[in-house]
Amino acid sequence: MASQNKRIAKELAECTTSPPAGITITLPNDSDLHRWHVTLAGPDNTVYAGGQFGLIVTLPVDYPFRAPVVTFATRIYHPNVTNDSLGNVCLGPLKAENWKPSTRLAGVLEAVRALLVEPQPDDPLEARIADEFRQDRAEFEKNARAYVVRYAKGPVKFDAAVGAAAAGAEAAGGAATGAAVVRP
Amino acid sequence: MYQPEPTAYLQVSTGYAMPHTLPEYTFDETPLRLSDGRGGSSIGAGGSSSSNAAATSALLYGTPLFSNTNSAGIGPAPPTSGSSTAPAPAHSHTFHHQQQQQHHQHPPQQHRTRNVARTVPSSVAASSSRIHQHPHQQHHRASLPILLKMEPNSEDIAAQEAAAREYQQHFEVHNLETRRHIHQSSACALDAFHFHSGPLIGKKTPSTAIVEEYAKADPIYVQKTMVLPQTYSDYRPVQGDGSCGWRAIGFGYFEALIKTRSKARIDAERQRLESLTPVLENVGGFPSYLLQDFVDETFSLLQKLADLANHPDQAMSALEEVFNTPDVSSCILYHLRMLASSYLKGNQDQYAAFVTTNTGVEGYCKEVLEHHNVELDHLGLTLLVNVLLRDAGFVLEVAYLDRSPGSEVNTYRFPEEANGRHPSELGPIIHLLFRPDHYDILYIPEPVDLQVHRVASFSHRYEIENSPMAAMHNFGGPVNMETLAMIPGFGTPTPGSLAAAPPILDTTPSPLSAYSPSPVSPWATAPPPYADPLQQQQHQHQQHHQQPPTAPMPIPMPMPASSAAAVAANTMSLAVSAPPQTHPLRFSEYCQLPEYVENNTWREQTLQTTTFKNSHFNVAHYNNPNFQPEEYKPESDDHHDAPPRASTRKRGSV
Repeated sequence: MASQNKRIAKELAECTTSPPAGITITLPNDSDLHRWHVTLAGPDNTVYAGGQFGLIVTLPVDYPFRAPVVTFATRIYHPNVTNDSLGNVCLGPLKAENWKPSTRLAGVLEAVRALLVEPQPDDPLEARIADEFRQDRAEFEKNARAYVVRYAKGPVKFDAAVGAAAAGAEAAGGAATGAAVVRP
Repeated sequence: MYQPEPTAYLQVSTGYAMPHTLPEYTFDETPLRLSDGRGGSSIGAGGSSSSNAAATSALLYGTPLFSNTNSAGIGPAPPTSGSSTAPAPAHSHTFHHQQQQQHHQHPPQQHRTRNVARTVPSSVAASSSRIHQHPHQQHHRASLPILLKMEPNSEDIAAQEAAAREYQQHFEVHNLETRRHIHQSSACALDAFHFHSGPLIGKKTPSTAIVEEYAKADPIYVQKTMVLPQTYSDYRPVQGDGSCGWRAIGFGYFEALIKTRSKARIDAERQRLESLTPVLENVGGFPSYLLQDFVDETFSLLQKLADLANHPDQAMSALEEVFNTPDVSSCILYHLRMLASSYLKGNQDQYAAFVTTNTGVEGYCKEVLEHHNVELDHLGLTLLVNVLLRDAGFVLEVAYLDRSPGSEVNTYRFPEEANGRHPSELGPIIHLLFRPDHYDILYIPEPVDLQVHRVASFSHRYEIENSPMAAMHNFGGPVNMETLAMIPGFGTPTPGSLAAAPPILDTTPSPLSAYSPSPVSPWATAPPPYADPLQQQQHQHQQHHQQPPTAPMPIPMPMPASSAAAVAANTMSLAVSAPPQTHPLRFSEYCQLPEYVENNTWREQTLQTTTFKNSHFNVAHYNNPNFQPEEYKPESDDHHDAPPRASTRKRGSV
């Protein structure tokens, strides 16, 4: 366990001291190194530009021998992210058959960011969005931007009930303006 | 696993032949029967059979020396049977056995149960026999524990059959093991039960456990596992979680280092591996700050082993502890994976053709070598041996237990230069047992164990002596000698001759297996009328296998204890110390009885030494008082020497 925490601490140090572009990392609970809250700024020149996306990185107890789990806490209109409150991501390096214990978490986060820059419609989680991405790019971009405006503006909420909160915000007709809920 | 027949003792001791009871104890030819001949010597050495032998010898001689000798050298022999069995007076003892024999005439179905029970390893059998309290044991303290195994239990058969049905299933399932870690499959419950339970690295266990595990399997497996304990005394189970090959080699590597007992060598290995760390980074492409965590665990383990270099036991327990700590052992195994991967990347031209995936070297490294819990394949094994073991001077020998034809497991050594060379030319050898998709660690007997093995074969004689049913096929001699012990006045010399006999028998196993009379009794001691009964006896041996040799024997000429021991201890002295009487019956070389001829050739071998020929004990020597020049006989050179020799034995005097 000690060596494992050492490894995570090292990776956390790497990610916080020289973070990948547009990424900031916080620990919701200082004593728990296994749950990271990551804020990802939508890359420039993409439909996601201007949005702030929350990612929850969960490291399993036998990390690094099992892959971490990355989910979007913020809803996003993307072929490779489930369009629901779970925000599951289909990320190549995180698949069980691809995961290597020597994979760096910084690399994983960069891969997430790369996914926003370049969606992978051939390996989709949301087939409808993937079809739209391939066949009607304009419509896709319009929807994606609408999602950014609706969900990804303002402080990121890592609440587990992000979906419900988002639904409430939607009913209110705009992005949530209340106090950011950082602690789940 | 052969269990001695308790009733045999009765037949021998009383001299009653009870042919009508024989069919009760004639077992069907089943695959399990294979265990009688081969397994009897190897497996039976370790367990209840020997302990029973010990018990019997205690009964026979009433000397704790015998039971101690037997139970001491044989490892897991239950100490209770040898020591707690109090010798009973000879006559009442015989009576009890008579009773028991009648009591234990069970219907055939129960004998089938016994057949099945034979496959249970001795330790288990022994313990179960202690658990089952046979009513008779209360009355006869001298009763043999083996009798308790004859309890009828038809449920056992049903359970065994059910297990056998499941067995194939288990193997098919097992082949999916690697995939299982990617796609969790519920069908692998059995597999999980077998290989995913227990610690990551188990305790060193007698390899008879493997025999037990495969007793219900395909006959090829049964045969191959049956002979396994002859070569490999112990094994260490490794958990089959997908890393068992890496774990087995890693553990074997550290264990071999411990066995060197050399701090310098362990330190040198640590320095060698440390010098490889930059290779991991530069060639392997692993981020240095991440790989450091993995390699640090290896180095701290090596440091620990170096500090305990003079205390191998503590070092072994430290090693087991480390390998059973999941995250630490994962780190060490991942270090090995990184070493193998880097070695492959650094020697692409040599190994790229052997990559099993169609994604090239990079893909193979990523999908197989660097992937946690993906099984070690042949290429990975070769890489790991080259990077880890070869430079350390260790050799890996893998015994492949599979369905390939043959009666023994095939072994192959890595690196391949080591094949075909004698182990003494090689460095420490790490033995692995490979079954489809799984590796375990094997151990050959250590030098200390060799002595134990000799004692084990000694007690095996006892087993045979107590079980003429099967044993008389093979060994006539020892039975003869045992029966001498039943004769009043022979009790004392017989232990001596018995103790000395096995070495003689061991040196000439094959002629004996056909037939050979005791080197002691018929030739040296029998009075004239004994000759004919002897030959009858030989026939009866072969026909019935239970004929008590003592029955037709008239009052024998008592043989002095000293000469009996001397005769048995040294065949040469046979001619010297035999009573200086002339044997009226001379078996001529034209006597074509097959037993005799065979026997005669065997004896010729033992006497055809240069020392003997050139000594005055040879009648052809001019110093011999009965000097008789050799005569040329045109038939054959082999038979030429026989008659004078034979007479030497009778006439030679001290």
